[in-house]
Parts: sequence; C-alpha cells; structure tokens
Amino acid sequence: MRQDQAGHRAPFFKGTEQPSIDRADIVIVGNGIAGLTAALQARSFEPDARIAIISDQNHPTINTPALKQFAVGKLTREQLLAYPPGTERQERIHLIHARVEKISAQSKSVTLANGSAFGYGTLLLATGSMPTALPSQLPGRDFDGVLTLHRLQDYLDLRRRLPEVEEAVVIGGGAHACETVMCLLHWGIHVHWLIRSAVLLPRMLDETASEMVLERIRQAGATVYTSTEVIGIVGRVGSVIGVVTNHQQFIPCQLVVACTGTKPVTTLAKHCDLPLKHENGILVDDHLRSSVRDIYVAGDVAALKNPLTGQYEPRALWYAAVEQGRMAGAMMTGHREAVRPFGVPWHATHLGDLSMLYVGNPLQSPPGSYVLTDTSRGGYRRLLLQGERLIGYLSLGPMQPDSLAIKRIIDEELPVRDILKGLLKGEFDARQYLTRQRTYTAQDLVTSGRLASVKLSPVQTTAQTTPEPAPAARSLAPATAAAQLEPRLPTTEQLPPISTGPVAAPQHAPASAPAVHAGSRYPILHEEEEISPFTGTLPALPEQGQGQAGTRLLSGDLPSRQEQGRGGRRNLWAYSDPVLPAFPRQSPAQMQHSRSYSEKREGGR
Amino acid sequence: MRNPVLLHKTASQVQQELEACIGCNECLLACPALDEALTIDVLNRETFGGPISAPVARFARSCYQCGACVPPCPVGLHRDAMMMWLKIRLYRSGEED
Repeated sequence: MRQDQAGHRAPFFKGTEQPSIDRADIVIVGNGIAGLTAALQARSFEPDARIAIISDQNHPTINTPALKQFAVGKLTREQLLAYPPGTERQERIHLIHARVEKISAQSKSVTLANGSAFGYGTLLLATGSMPTALPSQLPGRDFDGVLTLHRLQDYLDLRRRLPEVEEAVVIGGGAHACETVMCLLHWGIHVHWLIRSAVLLPRMLDETASEMVLERIRQAGATVYTSTEVIGIVGRVGSVIGVVTNHQQFIPCQLVVACTGTKPVTTLAKHCDLPLKHENGILVDDHLRSSVRDIYVAGDVAALKNPLTGQYEPRALWYAAVEQGRMAGAMMTGHREAVRPFGVPWHATHLGDLSMLYVGNPLQSPPGSYVLTDTSRGGYRRLLLQGERLIGYLSLGPMQPDSLAIKRIIDEELPVRDILKGLLKGEFDARQYLTRQRTYTAQDLVTSGRLASVKLSPVQTTAQTTPEPAPAARSLAPATAAAQLEPRLPTTEQLPPISTGPVAAPQHAPASAPAVHAGSRYPILHEEEEISPFTGTLPALPEQGQGQAGTRLLSGDLPSRQEQGRGGRRNLWAYSDPVLPAFPRQSPAQMQHSRSYSEKREGGR
Repeated sequence: MRNPVLLHKTASQVQQELEACIGCNECLLACPALDEALTIDVLNRETFGGPISAPVARFARSCYQCGACVPPCPVGLHRDAMMMWLKIRLYRSGEED
C-alpha cells in the first residue's frame, strides 16, 4: 500500500521543484467541510488525479458546529480542526489561497482575483453560506456591537467583547439562536431573546416541543420575547446601548447578536459565462450536477429539491454537507456506483440543555398517516406513522437516542410494529433491534436455501417454528451472557416469540459458541473483507460434507471461511446496505406474532 | 477467542457515525480513560483508516468501553462503537506486523 502511494507520488513531485500548476483535473472552490470531503473522496478513487482546492479562507477546514464549544471556552482553536494538520499535503491536494472571481465554463477555467486563469476538468462549487444580516433599512444596524456569528473570526470577536457585556439581545428563532443564548448565559450575561414567530423553530418543532425548550431557557435565566421584532437599534458614540422592539419597548444592552439564518453564497453563479441556475442556492439534481456541464455543487450553497414540497432549497447542515461532499467526490471521478442516496432529513442538536432529534418529516400529515406523542421521562416524542412504517420522528429530552439508527429505520422502511412502544417512550434499544433484524436476515437466507453450503436437518426446521428455543440452543447462550445483557434489554413481551432468547448473544458469546445466534440458532456470517473480531482468530474447520453442516451448526461451530465464500457474498453485518431482498420475508412464527399483535392493538382501541 | 467482544455497530454504520461527528470533543472530555492530549480530528481520521499513531493506539488500548462518551454527544453518536472498531483495527494491524 505504501509502495503504491510512493509510486503515485513520484510523477507528482518529481525533482526538487514542484511544478507550478495552472490546471487541475478536479478543482474545488471553498475549503469548508463539503469541499475537503469531496477532495478526499475523489483522492480515494483517483490516486493520480490532480486535485486543487481554491479558497480565500485563512485557516484550515474546521468543525464549524464545534464553534459553540469554542465560544464557551471548552475548546481551543487547535481542537477545532476537522482533519489533522497536513492531511491535504498527505493526500496531495493542492491548496491555493485565492479568491475565485468568475467561471469560464466554455473554456473550462476559473479566473482568480489576481487575474490569472486556472483550468479545470470538473469543478465543484462549495462556497458555503453567509449569515443573513439584519435588514438593510433597520436603523442602527451598523453600530459597534451588532454581530453575526458564523465564521471563526466572528467567534473570536465575540470572545474579545464578552468582558464588557452585561446584557445582550439575541435575535432569531432557530437552533443557532438557542445555542447563542446558552453560550451568553454561560458567561453570566443577561440575555434577552427576541423571536419573531410565536414558536421556536416552526418548521421543526410543534407547539409542545417549542414551549418545552423555551421554558427550559427561561429557567436558565434568559428573558424570552415571542412574536417580537426589532424595529431599531439605539447607539451612543457608535456603540450599541439598546434595541427598540415592535411593542415599543426599549431593552438596554451592549451586544446584539443576529442569528436570523444563513443564505447561500451564489456570487460565482452570477459570474459564470453559461447560465448557472440559481435562486435560493445553486440548483442541482439528485447527483449534485448543476445546469452547466462538469460543474457540481455541494454543501450549504447547493439547492436540492425537497421531495415533499418540490421546492429547491439548501440543506445547511453539517451532516448534509459531509454527505454531499462524499457524493460530489464520487461523481467527479465518475464513480456513480459509490453514490448512495441522502435519505430523509436528519438533524440532531442541543437546544438548551435538551437534545433534539428530527428525522424524516414528523410535522407533515400525508394521507393515511397518524401521529403518536408522548411526554414521559422528562421529554417529548412525536412519531408520524403511515401504516406499519415510521415516516417521521421528533424527540426532545435529556438524552439523545441512537439518532442514526432511527434514520436507518425510516430510510430502509423497516417495520416498527415491535419497537413502537420503545420509540414512543424513548427507551428504544437500537442495538438489540438491529441485531435481531440481522438475525432474521440470516435465518431467511438459510431457510430459503440460498446459502448452498448449509442444509438444515428436518429437526431444525421444525424447531425453528416453535417459540421455545431448542435445548441445544439454550446451552449455547450461557447464563452469564444473558445476565450481562439483562439491563439493556427492554421488556420482551412485545418481541416475537422467535427471539425471546438473549438476542445479542452471538456478539457476546464466549469461545464455545462464537457465531451461533442463540435466538435463531443459525450462524452469523461474515464477509471476509469486513473486519470482525471473530474471523481470523478461530481455527478454520476442515472441509466437511454438506450433510454434516446442520449437525455442526447445532454443535456450535463456525463454518470455515471457504464455506462462507461459497455461500453467496452477502454481507450480513452491514444491514445498512440496500435492503436485502430477503428482508421482508417473515418466518411463520413471526407472521403469526404480527397478526396477533395487530389484533391485540386493534382490540385495544 | 479468549476475550469475547460486543460489536455495537457495523463498519458502514461506524463510518456513517464518523461522518456525522461534529467534532465538539464532548466524548473526549467525558472520557475517564484518556490521559493525554488527543484531538477529535486525529482520532476520527485514524478510526476511519490509515496508520494508527502511538497516542491513538495507547488510547484505543486504554478504552475499557464504559460508555461514558455516549450520553454527552449532542448528535447521539456512539463513540464506544467507534473505539471498538479502532481496537479491532489496532488488533488487525498488530496481527499483520
């Protein structure tokens, strides 16, 4: 591997002088997380391509969401870096500190601020966003002490000002405003928070959730004004001394922070010789292609179609930017097979001292959908369901649930019948659930006969349909493993009978039965490329006839690697991969269970 | 195998979690096993792939999977699962050497 890298490096850094490049195969404008992720992704596909990032930012790529921790002094500047120093050099990504003035799409080049042209094969625009400042006609908006918080410099400025501030006004009704309020409260500043609408985050939270967050913020010491706008900022000798609201109220303060959202930086779209469609962001298709050939757009500046509304709008979120960067990197190098869909919207953050998770579209009401809500355990959860499917999840509480697992459940349309109670009560154990799903897949693979090397004995097939685990299976799950897992397992009454055993046992089982699932009594199989603590450490068994395979399963041995190879290259560890066709099939016992469950539920209504 | 391990997450899930990491360092601040300066950028990069440096290797060895890193995460990620994969990578790299 190292030799390969050295081999690739040779033509690039030949001789003592590095050739000055005025062209690159892949040119990326902007070194935010989308730009750098795209560059690294492209490098992983194309070890020889010339990749250049052009940016006028004077610091390396940082974790911008972590700027809140920086603002409260939890992190130093050095801890903000998104990638270790020197990653770009190590990956042979050429960094050019310059400002791009315009794009000549016909000649496939960009013009830099010093007038020089830089050619590209494919171009990625990842210019990000800028804060929406206060309206230009607002009196006093230019006074010293009126800030926006977006870049590192803004946060450095904030920290420099903090010692002189006793009271501050925060304007805006989003998560960013909420974080800013908490940050200023942390420094002992009295905060007045002005929200234009009646609720917080109207597009993400419903009234109950919004009121819950606002109540917590009030308790933390802030004064919250809903349905309130600023109509003017009052200053003395150029500095802020207060704001006037639309209720003719004067609020004295030394600092005004406008957290009124961001807007995409589309300047370059205006300075392109071919029409680069832009409105609220540069318009792209599902593969991040813009309206001009060989120009891709990723990150906060990209406006993707919202499948619900049909509108093109940017998804100005960290995770969206990373995902888009990855997709852009794959697309620019022609690796469309590596492109995976974005899935449903996902946003997880802190709102005050509460954790908020927003997955899918919990506030919509498509036909045939119904809403379940719950306010136990000091939190609030809202589930939007359509038939047996979860399509939206909103959670607010002291603890963040396994947020990406819930995204997967919605993305992959997994059945939620059995976990509804856990999801609603905020007790959902994602690990247990997904382990069981994997087991079903493995079980289906075996019973459907698609795993050529494993043949089941008749005894085993009948045992599978009986709810009670066979004695052999029980012996495979020692009491110790079960006891260890006990506190993590929620009540098993709603679980299908097939899995009443300790479902996570195969992951936990000792050497005697490392890969046999106690609940299903079938092996969990590994793909050889997949890193697993099980493979490679167990002695490979000698080749045996197919007739012996079933017996061996019951005795708790692992099939050898060769057998795994023969038995279809299915990756059972990675259930995240596109849903296996085998997945929706249910075992007879399971089907019976689901029927009885839905009957019970309907009867309960 | 003498020391059985509990795998929390699959490789692709761990990768997805690493991508969703916002780099707030809350998990490292909560960690009782970390006894030297280590930043999240290095840890994430080396969990994902490439060579494992000595400080990260020491940290991976000293992690005893207590799970203290999970509740503080503002976005609900599982650093313990990522550390487990790092342990496995470390184990694998030792095997190759």
